[in-house]
Amino acid sequence: MDVNEAQLISRCQQGDQEALEEIFNQYHQKLYRIAYGVVRHREEALDIVQEVFIKLFRSIHQFKGKSRFYTYLYRMTMNTAIDHTRKMKKAPSLSMDEEEGFQLSDDADRRPDRILDHKELEARVKWAMDQLSPDQKAALIFREIEGLSYQEIAEATGCSIGTVMSRLHYGRKKVQELLKDYVGRGEVL
Amino acid sequence: MKRECSSISRLLEKYFDQEVTPEERSLVEGHLPDCSACRMALDTMQNLRILIKNPVEEAVEKETFPWVWEKIEKGIQRKERPGLWNFLKSWLDVTPLLKRKILIPAVAAVVIVILITAPLLYKKMSSYPGPSVVEYVESETYNVMVYELETPQVTVIWLFEDPEEESSTS
Repeated sequence: MDVNEAQLISRCQQGDQEALEEIFNQYHQKLYRIAYGVVRHREEALDIVQEVFIKLFRSIHQFKGKSRFYTYLYRMTMNTAIDHTRKMKKAPSLSMDEEEGFQLSDDADRRPDRILDHKELEARVKWAMDQLSPDQKAALIFREIEGLSYQEIAEATGCSIGTVMSRLHYGRKKVQELLKDYVGRGEVL
Repeated sequence: MKRECSSISRLLEKYFDQEVTPEERSLVEGHLPDCSACRMALDTMQNLRILIKNPVEEAVEKETFPWVWEKIEKGIQRKERPGLWNFLKSWLDVTPLLKRKILIPAVAAVVIVILITAPLLYKKMSSYPGPSVVEYVESETYNVMVYELETPQVTVIWLFEDPEEESSTS
């Protein structure tokens, strides 16, 4: 942790909202990436980021610096996103028309058949990820989306490196199997 | 798949995640040119990564994070001003008492106070039970009923001359 970050955390622990805003400016995109990776829905991911920063402000006094600050934040984001998913499972889900999970890059991609393919593929990826246990999902998102090392994932999830490797291995195996029609033929979004 | 694949495949995922030692990297990279199965396994992992990551990157790129910070500020202020229900809950919350281990003595003290004061209160508040009949005498001409009131000490005698006509003396 660098000196600036330590000072920011210390100010935030004393209730300084400007310090929290600086932390927000520094981390909101990373946290959004993690939240989006879990829920794959724009509005829900924004709500999660918002909730995480409110929680952080209330609980930052508990941060003692034993782990790195960003792994503490990532863990909080992942837990909030997974809790959110559990709650949403109980509530009726949105239709695919309301999903805004991707952007089409060129005119060819805007053809109706391509849009349908895109939506279908995105829905399949979300479905496959939802088949994983929360631990496997967390490991896969931290690794594939945020590019964390095994050591960082272990810190963010509170387990050993061996456990991280096992979760990644079985998580990948399962998603590859569920998406074999897409990963096999090299189709990408 | 070649014979050495079984030993290399254990390293393949670590290699893909860039978690191998330099020696392990050399081993894998020496093996890959001659093994299509391991190359395909790597391609599959790479395709999966793209499938998972690309939509997220696209979503982040187009996101402007509108009003998020303002909402956070409002959320913090809302939580700092607890509503009436939260205020009541904080008063009714017994958790701090449990934590301080004073709940049991406090409950015991309340029970003792109730046990001591309840009979006194009951005695004071108990309602007058009503007159009690001491005697009732029937005859051909008169029927007499004698009542006794508790406070003040009064005796009431009812004289029934006729079922339709009643008189009283005290």
